[in-house]
Amino acid sequence: MKRQVQKRLGMTLLLAVLLTACTSTSKQPEGFEVETETPSGVQIRPTPDTSKAALALLSKARSAAKAGKLDVAESQLERALRIEPRNAVLWHYMAKLRLYQGRLEQAAGLAAKSNSLDKGDRQLRADNWRIIAHARYQKGDRAGADAAQQQVDKLTR
Amino acid sequence: MPKKSSRKRKPVTSRKSRGASPRRKRAHPPKRRTKKSRRRLLRWPYLLLAVALLGLAWVIYLDVLIRTQFEGKRWALPAQVYGRPLELYAGKTLGSHAFRQELEQLGYRYAYRVNEPGTFAQQGEHFQVYRRAFRFWDGEVAPRLLQLQFDDGLVGSVRDGRSGEELDIVRLEPPRVGGIYPSHREDRILIKLEDAPLLLRQGLVAVEDHYFYEHHGVNPRAIARALWANIKAGGTVQGGSTLTQQLVKNFFLSNTRSLWRKGNEAIMALLLEWHYSKDEILEAYLNEIYLGQENSRAVHGFGLASRFYFDRPVEKLNLPQIATLIALVRGPSYYEPRRHPERLKKRRNLVLDIMVQRGVIGRAAAEQAKLRGLGIVEGRRTDTRYPAFMDLVRRQLQRDYRQQDLTSEGLRIFTSFDPRVQRIAEEALTRRVAELDRQRHLRGQLQGAVIVTNTTSGEVLAVVGDRQPRFAGFNRALDAVRPVGSLIKPAVYLTALEMTRRYTLSTPLEDRQIRLKTPKGNVWSPKNYDGKSHGTVPLFYALVHSYNQATVRLGLDLGFEAITDVLKRLGARRDIPPYPSMLLGAVNFSPFEMAGLYQTLAAGGFRTPLRVIREVTTVDGEPLQRFALEVEQVVDPAVVAVLVSAMQEVTRSGTARSLQQRLPPGLRVAGKTGTTNELRDSWFAGFSGEHLLVVWLGRDDNRTTGLSGSSGALKVWADVMQHLPTLPLQPPMTDNVEFHWIDSHTGLLSDEACAHAVYLAYVRGTAPEEKAACNGQRDDSTMEKTVDWLKGLFN
Repeated sequence: MKRQVQKRLGMTLLLAVLLTACTSTSKQPEGFEVETETPSGVQIRPTPDTSKAALALLSKARSAAKAGKLDVAESQLERALRIEPRNAVLWHYMAKLRLYQGRLEQAAGLAAKSNSLDKGDRQLRADNWRIIAHARYQKGDRAGADAAQQQVDKLTR
Repeated sequence: MPKKSSRKRKPVTSRKSRGASPRRKRAHPPKRRTKKSRRRLLRWPYLLLAVALLGLAWVIYLDVLIRTQFEGKRWALPAQVYGRPLELYAGKTLGSHAFRQELEQLGYRYAYRVNEPGTFAQQGEHFQVYRRAFRFWDGEVAPRLLQLQFDDGLVGSVRDGRSGEELDIVRLEPPRVGGIYPSHREDRILIKLEDAPLLLRQGLVAVEDHYFYEHHGVNPRAIARALWANIKAGGTVQGGSTLTQQLVKNFFLSNTRSLWRKGNEAIMALLLEWHYSKDEILEAYLNEIYLGQENSRAVHGFGLASRFYFDRPVEKLNLPQIATLIALVRGPSYYEPRRHPERLKKRRNLVLDIMVQRGVIGRAAAEQAKLRGLGIVEGRRTDTRYPAFMDLVRRQLQRDYRQQDLTSEGLRIFTSFDPRVQRIAEEALTRRVAELDRQRHLRGQLQGAVIVTNTTSGEVLAVVGDRQPRFAGFNRALDAVRPVGSLIKPAVYLTALEMTRRYTLSTPLEDRQIRLKTPKGNVWSPKNYDGKSHGTVPLFYALVHSYNQATVRLGLDLGFEAITDVLKRLGARRDIPPYPSMLLGAVNFSPFEMAGLYQTLAAGGFRTPLRVIREVTTVDGEPLQRFALEVEQVVDPAVVAVLVSAMQEVTRSGTARSLQQRLPPGLRVAGKTGTTNELRDSWFAGFSGEHLLVVWLGRDDNRTTGLSGSSGALKVWADVMQHLPTLPLQPPMTDNVEFHWIDSHTGLLSDEACAHAVYLAYVRGTAPEEKAACNGQRDDSTMEKTVDWLKGLFN
C-alpha cells in the first residue's frame, strides 16, 4: 500500500518534471495538473544552453512517460545524454525516472552524478540531495539520510 | 496383451540362446511335432508381432528424432546485431565525408533523382537523403526525405526534404553488424536455396548424388555400385550415400561406421524424403554439411565455408571456388586446403570433370577453371566483419539474458557499436603493429588489442582483438589476461589521495631503493625504469614519471587492503594478490577489464559497468528486458579530479609527453603508460572528455617485445585518439576542487610563467600555502598566502 502511494506520487512528480521540462518546446496540454515538486514550487528546467535536439528528446520522453512507457522515456533520456553528457539537468531527470521506477540506489547514484556536473544551480542541487536522502532513508540508512537532508536545508535556506 | 506376450517370450528367448536359431529350425523341421514344439509354434505370431511393434516404435522414434533435427535447423534464423543509429542534429560533430561513408555503409545508392528510400545525392556540403523505414525498438520510423547541410565538420542543419521544415533530431537506420546464434557456440551463415548459385546446386547433385531427384532417400543401385567398387579395391573408395543420407549423418555427427548406424541413417533418410520436398532437403544440406574445422569450432554449411575459405558471400563464388567447396564435401580434413592444397586441387579438377560429364558445364569452362589456383584466403569465421565485437555481444547476452529468451529466433539486438570508431581503431592498430613488428624484428609475432568506450555511458564503441581485425581467433581484447604494469599505479595514488588529510599531490615521497623479503625468503628490490633513484619528490611527480620505488614505499604505507578496496570499487572483479609486486602491476587483467577500471576514473568517480547492448527485441519487435544505464558513485568526484589532473600531467610532461606532438593542439587528455618485466607487455590507458581508450601490445607466447608503454601502445593510442571526433577533457564542475600552478620539484605553489610549473588540482583547502621561487627553490620572500587567482573560474 505504502509502495503504491509512493509509486503514484513518483509518477506525478515525474510527469510534472518532464512536463515542465518541455514547456519550452511544446504546449502544456489542458487539464493536466502539475503538482509542485519542491516546497518552494520551483521546477527544474533545462538551462537555456540546452540544444534543440536534447529538448526534442525530452519532449519525446515526456510523451512516453505520459503513456506509461517508462522504458521508452528512459531510452529517450539516454539519447539526450549521449548528446549532452555534461548536462546536469538531464542527469537529474534520469535520477527522477529511477526514483519512480523504485530503483532507489540507482536514483541516488544519478542524482550524485548530476550534482557533480552542476554549475551552481542551488535548486537543482537541493533536489538531487532530496533524492539521495529519500534513497538512503528507504535503505534504512538514517544517518546518511539526515546528512543528505542537511545538505538540502543548507541549499534552500 | 503385449505385456503377456513379453512375459511368455522370456523363456523362449533364453532357450533360443542356448541352441540353434529359429531359421535353422524352420529349415529342418522335426519329423514329429511334440506337444512342446507345437506350443512353441503357437508363440511365433506373438513373437513376430512383438518384433514388428518394436520395429515400428523404433521407426517412430527415429521419425521424431529426425524431424526435430530437421525442423530445428531449418528454421533457425540468426539474431541480427545492429550498431548505433547515427543521430543527426544541428551542431553535431560530423563531416560530410564521414556522413557519406556512413550512407554507403548502410547501402544507400547515389542517385541523380532521390525519389525512393535508400538513395541520396550530394552537392559539396549539401545532401539529399531518402531515409528508409526502420523498426526501432521504441517504435517505427517511416521513410523520409531529408536535406542536410554540413558546415566545416559540423552538421549545419537538418530539414524535411518536402516541407523544408527544420528538424530537431532524426536518426538513420542502424548499420547491421552481423548475425549470430546467441545460444550456440558455433556460427552459421544460412543461405536460401534460391540464393545459392545454380552451378553449386547442380554441381553438388552431379558429383555427390546424380539421382537425387529420382530416389526416395536411398539409392540401392549406388550402394551396390559402391560396394562392388570397394570390394574390388579392397577398402572404402566410394560412398553410396545419397545427399539425404549425408544430411542425416551430419545431423548426428559421428564417424562410426557400423551397419546398425547405416541402417538407421537409411531409415531416417527415407523418412525425411517422405516428409519434405527435395528442395527443402537440398537447402538443409547446403546449410548443414560439414566443410572444415578451425580449432574447436566446426565450419558447417556453404554460406560460412564460402566466407571461411574465400572471404566472400556464396552468391559471389566463381566456378573454381564452387568446385573446390564441392570437392571438400568428401573429406574436409583429408582435403584440408591449407595442409593438402595439391590433394584438394586434384579433387577439385576431378569435380570439374564430373560436372562436364554430367552436362553441368562445358569442357572449355572446366579447363579454364583448372588453370586457376585454389585462392584460399584467411577468411572470416563469422557473418561479420567485426568478430571481436560480436564476441563481446555474445558474452554479454549470455551473461545478462535468460537462455530461453536467447533461443527464440530472429532476435534483434541493438548495440552501441560505432563503425566509424571501429574503422579508426582497426586502421591504427593494424598499421602501427605492422610497423613496430618490422622495427623490432618480431616476425609477425607482435599482437595487440584496442577498446574504445564512451566515458559517460560506459558504452563500448569499438573492439579490436587481433592485428588482423577480420580474423576471428583469440580475442585479446577480452581474453589476453596479462600483467598490467604501471597501469595499476593510479589506483595506488587514488588510495592515498582519498586520505585528504594525509596526502595531496604535493606530499613528498621517497624514491629510494627498497629491499623487501618475500615469503619464500628472497629479496625483492624494485628498480626504476631509468635505473636511478630520485630522492624526495612530490607525490604527483612520482606518478607522472612512474617511479617504482616511490610507489612501492607509498603502497606499503597505505596497505594492501586499502588499495584492493579501491580497485574493487573502481570495478575490479578479480582477486588481487597481496604482494608488494602488485603495487607495480604484477596483477593480471584483460584490456577490457582495464577499460572498466579506467572508465570509473574517466567518469569522475562514478562506476558504470561497460555495456554493449542497448536493447533486444524479438522478431515481432517485442522488447526483452532492457539494459538500463547504471551509475554508482564509488569515489568522491573531487578526489578523482585531483588524480586526473596528475594523469593529465603524465601526457604533458611525464612518460606520455610525446602525445603533445601527436595530438591536435587543445585536445586535453589524461592517461597512464604500462610496461611489464622484460618489456613483455606494452599498455596505454587514457581518456579525453568523451572517449576512453585502452591499448595493449604483446606477444601470444609472452616473450619480450622490446616495447615499453610509451614506445608501443601509446603510439596506437595516439593514432586512434587524434582521428576520433572527440571532446577535450573538461575541468571538473565540483566546487570542492581548486587548481594551482605548482613547482614540479618542490610541490609548492608557483607561477604559470615559471619553469617546471605544472597545473594541478587540490581538494579545496588542501593546497600548499608556501610558494617556490621561479628557479625551483623555496621562495622565502613570498611566503605570504597566495590568492587562488583561479577562484571563481570553475565555480
